[in-house]
Amino acid sequence: MAFVEFVDVCKTYQMGDVEVHAVDGMNFTIEEGELVVIVGPSGAGKTTVLNMLGGMDSATSGTITLDGREISGMGERELTQYRRHDIGFVFQFYNLVQNLTALENVELASQICANPLPADEVLAQVGLAGRKDNFPAQLSGGEQQRVAIARALAKNPKLVLADEPTGALDYQTGKQILGLLQETCRTGGRTVAIVTHNLAFTQIADRVIHVREGRADRIERNMSPADASVVEW
Amino acid sequence: MSAFAKTIVRSIRGSLGRFLAIMGIVALGCGFFAGLQMCGPDMRSAADELYDGTSLYDIRVVSTLGFGDEDVSRIHDVEGIDSVMPSVTVDVMARMGSEQVAARVSSLDVHAAQESTEDGVSTIVSTDGNYLNRIFLREGCWPRAPDECVLVADKAVGGVGVGDKVEVLYGSTDVDDVLRERTFNVVGMVSSSNYPYTGSFGSTTLGSGMIAAYLFVPRAALVDDVAYTEIYATASGADALESGSDAYEDAVGLVSERLEDQGDRLAEARLKDVRGEAQGELDEKRDDFEKERDDARKELADAKSELDDARKELDDAKEELAKGQRDYDDGARKLDDSRRDAYDQLDACQTTIDDSRSELELRQGELDDARAQLEEGMRAYGEGVSELLAQTGASSLEEARVMLEGGVRQADEGIQQLSSTLDGAGQLADQRIQLEIAETELLWGLSTAGIVADSVQEAKGMLEASVAQLEGMGAPEEQIAPLRESLAAASELVGAREQFEAGRSQLLAGLAAQGIEAADEKQAAELLGATLEETKAKRAQAQEGLDAIAQLEASAAELESGRLQLEDGERQIAEGWEKLESGQSELDGQRTDAEGKLDDAQRELDDARGKLESGKSDLASGTKEYESGKADYKKAKKEADTELADAEKKLDDAQAEIDDIEEPEIYVLDRSQNEGALTYDADSHRIDHIADVFPFMFFLVAALVALTTMTRMVEDDRIELGTYKALGYGTARIASKYLVYAGLAGTIGATVGILVLSQVLPFIVTSSYAIIYVVPLHPFPLPIDPLIALASGGLGVGVTLLATWVAVVSSLRETPATLMLPRAPVAGKRILLERVGPVWRRLSFSWKVTCRNMFRYKRRLAMTVIGISGCTALLLVGFGLHDAIWDIIDCQYGPIIHYDTTVALDEDANSKDVKEVVSALESTGEVTDIIRVQGENMQAGVRDGGEKIRVQVVVPQDESQIEKAVTFVNRISREPIAFDEGSVIITEKLSLKYGLEVGDEILLYDQDAIGNVVGDGHPCAVTGVAENYVGNYVYLGKKAWREIDAEKPVFSTVYASTTADDEVRAGIAQDLRDRDDVSTVVFSDETINLYRNMLSVVDLVVVVLIVSAGALAFIVLYNLTNINIGERVREIASLKVLGFTRQEVYAYIFREILLLAIIGDVFGLAFGTWLETFVVVTAEVDYVMFGRTIHPVSFTYAFILTIVFCGLIMFVMRRKLDRVDMVESLKSVD
Repeated sequence: MAFVEFVDVCKTYQMGDVEVHAVDGMNFTIEEGELVVIVGPSGAGKTTVLNMLGGMDSATSGTITLDGREISGMGERELTQYRRHDIGFVFQFYNLVQNLTALENVELASQICANPLPADEVLAQVGLAGRKDNFPAQLSGGEQQRVAIARALAKNPKLVLADEPTGALDYQTGKQILGLLQETCRTGGRTVAIVTHNLAFTQIADRVIHVREGRADRIERNMSPADASVVEW
Repeated sequence: MSAFAKTIVRSIRGSLGRFLAIMGIVALGCGFFAGLQMCGPDMRSAADELYDGTSLYDIRVVSTLGFGDEDVSRIHDVEGIDSVMPSVTVDVMARMGSEQVAARVSSLDVHAAQESTEDGVSTIVSTDGNYLNRIFLREGCWPRAPDECVLVADKAVGGVGVGDKVEVLYGSTDVDDVLRERTFNVVGMVSSSNYPYTGSFGSTTLGSGMIAAYLFVPRAALVDDVAYTEIYATASGADALESGSDAYEDAVGLVSERLEDQGDRLAEARLKDVRGEAQGELDEKRDDFEKERDDARKELADAKSELDDARKELDDAKEELAKGQRDYDDGARKLDDSRRDAYDQLDACQTTIDDSRSELELRQGELDDARAQLEEGMRAYGEGVSELLAQTGASSLEEARVMLEGGVRQADEGIQQLSSTLDGAGQLADQRIQLEIAETELLWGLSTAGIVADSVQEAKGMLEASVAQLEGMGAPEEQIAPLRESLAAASELVGAREQFEAGRSQLLAGLAAQGIEAADEKQAAELLGATLEETKAKRAQAQEGLDAIAQLEASAAELESGRLQLEDGERQIAEGWEKLESGQSELDGQRTDAEGKLDDAQRELDDARGKLESGKSDLASGTKEYESGKADYKKAKKEADTELADAEKKLDDAQAEIDDIEEPEIYVLDRSQNEGALTYDADSHRIDHIADVFPFMFFLVAALVALTTMTRMVEDDRIELGTYKALGYGTARIASKYLVYAGLAGTIGATVGILVLSQVLPFIVTSSYAIIYVVPLHPFPLPIDPLIALASGGLGVGVTLLATWVAVVSSLRETPATLMLPRAPVAGKRILLERVGPVWRRLSFSWKVTCRNMFRYKRRLAMTVIGISGCTALLLVGFGLHDAIWDIIDCQYGPIIHYDTTVALDEDANSKDVKEVVSALESTGEVTDIIRVQGENMQAGVRDGGEKIRVQVVVPQDESQIEKAVTFVNRISREPIAFDEGSVIITEKLSLKYGLEVGDEILLYDQDAIGNVVGDGHPCAVTGVAENYVGNYVYLGKKAWREIDAEKPVFSTVYASTTADDEVRAGIAQDLRDRDDVSTVVFSDETINLYRNMLSVVDLVVVVLIVSAGALAFIVLYNLTNINIGERVREIASLKVLGFTRQEVYAYIFREILLLAIIGDVFGLAFGTWLETFVVVTAEVDYVMFGRTIHPVSFTYAFILTIVFCGLIMFVMRRKLDRVDMVESLKSVD
């Protein structure tokens, strides 16, 4: 059994009189320790997939499982616990708490979960040992995203989800972040899923899921993913 | 609809909460401001409507001399005076049901009252323009008879209603000078705009100093010709102006000044009237007096001359009488003389006669003696003869003589014989004695010789024998010789014996011969002696007989000569008697004659005397009559003189009085001197003051709400703003969207708020005040003062627009490019708390965020803290006011005032009366701690003028006892204040009002009958300021009081504590009130209820405050939460994504709000304390000091209630948090 499984997952939004099928029969699997890139054009349903996978939204139908636990049937309370303990989320716009320092932002997450990693270690891991007492506003975008990644990692999650992690960053910084995520996967052995519209990212993935019109259009396995530093876009 | 308009409509629809928040706070701010601002004017306009509707006077003129009808027309003639109504008013103590209260009695124009009709709530229509101060008849009918009255309906006094009686007891002036009746039947209940304040209808010198009831009596109940006490007048045109407004004051002031200018003239005229009238009366009286005086004097003169005549007559009579007396006295003396002479002569004759008579009687006596002697002699002679004859047995004297002579001779012979015999017997006796002696001697001698013999015979024998023997024996002769001698002697003796015996026998024989038988010689001698004597007696007898015969013969001769002499004497006496008798009869005749003559003379004299006596008594009675006449005359004259002098003095006094009548003081008073109207006006202005402060807070909050809200809105629209700007819209054009948005919200809010609260608030306030004022409520809709409405609305909208403008402009200052970018998040900042390492490290992240957030958004912090503190402050003011009001009762009665019963006696009561009351109280057994004080109603002020207020001056009889009744303590330091003879303790409200402290000077003013200040006031140095809440008191020691009034006070007020229940208390009260001298009996319970009623007004305000506090808290917190959530949606979404539970999210957001609320709460308690003090001081009336401490429990309530409001809002806002979608976290920061 795969680490993550999407089986006939549908998600329908009611927009006034119109039913929008954001996800319409999605099927894919992810193995533990893989770096997965979910890629597709805008409106293809990749964010919905991310939401459902991250426990932020529930599926209208179908089954989602992570590490053998079915997420799709969870109630709100269970989902909260799920997010809390199993998911590390990296946002496009970092979503750091402005009033907390880098270290505190990491601690904010680690404090609430069961088996957190030491915050300053994680922060050192992402290369921000020297900036840990800085407020987000005092950090650059890349640094902020590193903090965000550190925050996600500190929870010691089963799955790290990243939503367009480089979207708000310049090219170089974006590459560094991408590298960090890849490293997380490779050296930390974590399962990392990156949602992006950038096809260039597919080069570094172990598995690429192409999403189109609410379905997993194509799933590729990349036997020799490229190093993030060499990726160009 | 232009696209622009559409955006606005959409933006409203899209942020209805925000819109409503702005609308709400503006509504609250403007409504409160406008509503409160309009309370005062509404109250005043309601009062004005009532005053105009009832033609209440604008000007009241009083004079120290009263007024007459001429004065009424004189005042009417003054320019600007529209109508006038004279009135008579007198303050009295009246018994009303179970109570005895001070009441104001006024005259009523019954006709005008009957003709008037009530039209609407506050209008009375009358055709009589001069019917002022029109009265509402609430019940019953107008009085018709002189003993009927109408009574105040606005306040129940002693439960008196229609059909009951009101009894007038005494007044501030002599009631009899004013009222004809003393008992009035209540026929109707009325309400007068002249007495709008039901708490007190005015002040007076009587009773408690407060007028508790007023009543109107018809003119007929008043004494004829009583002067009007006041003239009410209206100023023309004044009714068009609002009472109390500047325009009104000016209009009335103009006329008042004119009246005052004419005051001298009016006073002069009044003086002339009064003097003229009085002088006329006096002159008439003086004429009467003079006439009467002359009459009296003439009468007296007549009487005097009559008296003088009588005197003369009396004197004549007296003289005549004196002469008669003299004559009489002469006659009497002469008569006495003649009488004495006559009687002297007669008496002399009588004496002579009497002498002769006594001599005659003497001689007669002698004669009678002589005769008796003679007869005795005769009888003795006869007896002597017959005795002699009987003795002798002779038949005649001759014979007797012979016999007797023979007897003598015989006797003589016998005597001779006998004498010789007797001699012989005598010799024998002597012999015998010698014999016996010799015998005895012999025998003795023999016995010694041893010869014992009984007789000589025997001895002889024995001797013979012895001799013989001796001889025989031959004894010597010597022996025998003695014996022989003895024998010889014995023999001799025997021989003598024989001789003697022989003699004796011879004698005895001789005697025997003579018939004398004798045993022995001795007896013989005796017998012989007796016979001799016998014989001698016989001889003497015979001799006597002989002598007697001789004597008899001699006396017979003598007798014969005596008889002859006697006869001669008798003859002479008889002759003497004869002479005497004739002399006596002659004398008696003479005496009778003389006596007859004297008696005649005496009779004549007696007659004269009788005449004289009657003349004398006539004279005496005449004199007496004259004297009494004279006394009468004198008395009458004296009386007349006194009376005349009195009358003259009275006339002079009256004249002096008339001359002394001073030009009266004319006082021109206006409505501001009407206590009720003044209090009402003051209350309305008090509301104005509060209205000036309260809404300020709402406006401040409104501005902050608008600012934060609009800032948030502008921030939200950042990119849109940049777009517009980039598209070439000007700042004004862009801002206009927000200005219109805010303006719309503000205008709608202001309009709604003003419309609603300008009705609700004045309604609440006026209906609260309606409890204590008779001013009726305005009917809905209440007038909305456009000026206030515009000002308030303008201010509200203006503040909102300004805040919006500030928010927009600060954003538009940025270039379009930056605007298009997501706004750089406000940098996190370290706060002070972080420097306190140990504390900071212990905080969780959400706490850290909370702390940092709080100081991140300064505007929000300010808005929230101010808003919440406003809420807390309002609550605290509400609860604090409640405390303040209840403290009045709770602190005053018990902790400060210990007595619950006050018994006041009237002014005339003396110490004895008070003592009786005290003992009456004591005797109930239910009354303790009785002390006596002197209570005086005075007014207090300070030297630099200004308002004066009514005070109760209390002088305890015993300074050390006052603590039983009152505790003097400093409110703040809680230190007790000493009270002694020189103490002057004022109560705190007085000290606050005049800023007086210990050592400062307070002036106490006396007041006249109608409560006006008299004199310059008595200065007293304050020695203490005591906590007190109800009333204003000045407690004076006796020494301090003496400085004010030298007269010793009676201490006619009694304070006491009762333990009894209401029923017993009512009994005590009834007993006391039945006493004539008790003027008031007050139980504190009644007072307490009165105040509770008065102060219940403020309780409604408390409710209003709590409601508005809630509204304020809600708007502010709702807005804050709204903004907080809106601004931090991403953060919240991120947290949710991070796996924060609901509770953790709530805590993350609400902790901040709660913390802000608590900070605001704490500030609010401080602010509220200040605000409460302000409100309390503003809302206070002179008569009462509110409690100055807010109870801890009130702080707690205010604090907790604010937190509860917060909790409520958070509870509501939870849903909003729940609705935050995690997807938001994925969105870009646009």
